[in-house]
Amino acid sequence: MVAIDKTFKERLIDFTFYCRERQFVIGPQDTRDAFEIAERGYWLDRKLFHYSLKAIYCKRKEHYDRFDEMFNRFWSRYYEEKLEARKKTVKQLKKEPETDTIIFLGAKFNKPKQQKEEKEAKQTKGANENTRLRFTDFSKVDVADKERLEELAEELFHQMSMRFKRRLEDANKGRIDIRKTIRHSISKGGLMLDLAHRKKRKEKRKVVFILDVSGSMDTYSYYLLRYVMVLKKYFRELEFFTFSTHLTHVTPMLRANREFQVLKEIGANVQSWSSGTKIGESLTEFLDVYGSKFLSQKHIVVILSDGLETGNVTQLKEAVGTIRRRCKTLVWLNPLKGMKDYQPIQKGMVNVMPHLDAFESAHNLDSLLKLEKLLMDV
Amino acid sequence: MNKEIEGLISSFYEQGYILNKELATSVFLLNNLEKPLLLEGDPGVGKTMLASTLAGHLKTDLIRLQCYEGLDVGTTIYEWNYQKQLLHIKLFEQEKDKRTLGEEIFGMEYVLKRPLLRSITADKPVVLLIDEIDRADEEFEAFLLELLSDFQISIPELGTIKAVSKPLVILTSNRTRELSDALRRRCLYHWVDFPTKAMEIDIIARKLPEIDAELAGQVVNFIHNLRKSSLQKPPGIAESLDWAKTLLLLNADNITDEIVRNTIGSVLKHKDDIEFVRNRTVQEFLMPID
Repeated sequence: MVAIDKTFKERLIDFTFYCRERQFVIGPQDTRDAFEIAERGYWLDRKLFHYSLKAIYCKRKEHYDRFDEMFNRFWSRYYEEKLEARKKTVKQLKKEPETDTIIFLGAKFNKPKQQKEEKEAKQTKGANENTRLRFTDFSKVDVADKERLEELAEELFHQMSMRFKRRLEDANKGRIDIRKTIRHSISKGGLMLDLAHRKKRKEKRKVVFILDVSGSMDTYSYYLLRYVMVLKKYFRELEFFTFSTHLTHVTPMLRANREFQVLKEIGANVQSWSSGTKIGESLTEFLDVYGSKFLSQKHIVVILSDGLETGNVTQLKEAVGTIRRRCKTLVWLNPLKGMKDYQPIQKGMVNVMPHLDAFESAHNLDSLLKLEKLLMDV
Repeated sequence: MNKEIEGLISSFYEQGYILNKELATSVFLLNNLEKPLLLEGDPGVGKTMLASTLAGHLKTDLIRLQCYEGLDVGTTIYEWNYQKQLLHIKLFEQEKDKRTLGEEIFGMEYVLKRPLLRSITADKPVVLLIDEIDRADEEFEAFLLELLSDFQISIPELGTIKAVSKPLVILTSNRTRELSDALRRRCLYHWVDFPTKAMEIDIIARKLPEIDAELAGQVVNFIHNLRKSSLQKPPGIAESLDWAKTLLLLNADNITDEIVRNTIGSVLKHKDDIEFVRNRTVQEFLMPID
């Protein structure tokens, strides 16, 4: 065992908090393990310490992919901060002013110190920050928040998917299978010690997502795409299409194990990303080419679009009507619904509204997570 | 780098498994922190092989539990030996009273030990491989929690059985479904990626010493280009080795269109993937990549 100094302990705790802020799930046992490896002297070898912490703190592939950058950024940042803090201390030793000076319209004003503290409080990250991001409209996310929103989305989608999985399991064991029970009893001298159960075959849930990737949906389509990718892991029978002026069947591209690779491939293969919106034409193409395969009374169809149709509205109305007749449930998710005072009065939306079973918003993380219930009721 | 880790790398190398430093650190911690190691990665990257090599390195037994849907306590932890219990009752029902008989038949000698119980009752630490945990049901993950955190198993009639010697537990997953957070929290984690080009050439050269270096380089280039393509099942290391072996058997000096047409079945296992390759020229897949 090697004694570790107080500064290093603080640094390690800071790093743990830094990881937790970035949605790593690190419990007390993990922190204890991290201290144990430090005490064994592994921290003296940077690479060994790096890889050890990686094995302890990462719990999923998504964490694993981010860890190297975080580790390097944190420990380098720490040294820089240490250096700056030392410089500041030297300056503060000279004199720390009670107030800050600001210049407004050519005149000098003294800003009270309290104001400065408030500013710092606003920058504090934590639970409030997560709540704020959860309710932030995807189209209004600034560059500074983008990375944190990504991390939060990843974690919340993961939690949602775990809830899905649990509910999909059937707790009921079903009725007793007499034939199997008798067969099992042969090896036990005819005593029926093990009862065999016959489970009712679970009906497979079938979902079809049709995502609008036209220019007007640009700010939303990326998050909606990721949302569908998460759901794909839990719905074996999920089909995914994207459209703007043409329809693309994306399901075969979701096979790759890596999210980044999937996104890259979709980006390279999806036709007319960020172009015009021809919802009617695209949905008619879906009906003609894939309708017989992916539409039945077991299917729920989810269309994710703002409904700003630039093509033929009659065609759109007919296509949506036909889809509704041929599926179990038709849901339309419109990011614009999240806007205050939004009314579905655009030509496209007015025509499709009578055919929909549900019309929901999908403009921020919170609204996407609320869809969970809707999908569970399929 | 730590001397023990360097020792681990060289010992694995001698057994034909090429460890990188990162994975070696995880294996080292598995041994030192006494925590299970969860290995995730695409099929064919060497996750299962790592466990058998570790057992070879430690000169201990490997106990393997292959997971599948419907695994239960009876097949993984223990089962009562009903025939033996019934025989015991028949033999002694005249001599002993019911209570004594009841107590006797629920002893350790009437327990059929399954892999998990065997691993914690072994005299010396064994390597326990719980392979493809993602194929098992979620209930089975819950069974495992007690074993993974406390290295003990509870049997209602016998009480809690603590590990005589803690096994080194390796869990593997191909990520066909997400594992529970409870299970992940109890493990060290490592994502096993496909090897780098140089590493894969090294693996082939190590397993097939008679192969020409240029041919090995071509095989690896081809395979790496295939992995970058959108295939239903990207080839793993086993496929690279199979193909290299096939080329050796055919006395091929280099990879040509004809050879690819005739032997691609040892690399790709899906009709669509095979057609994808057959519709392209061999040169496209031999392009050097970083």
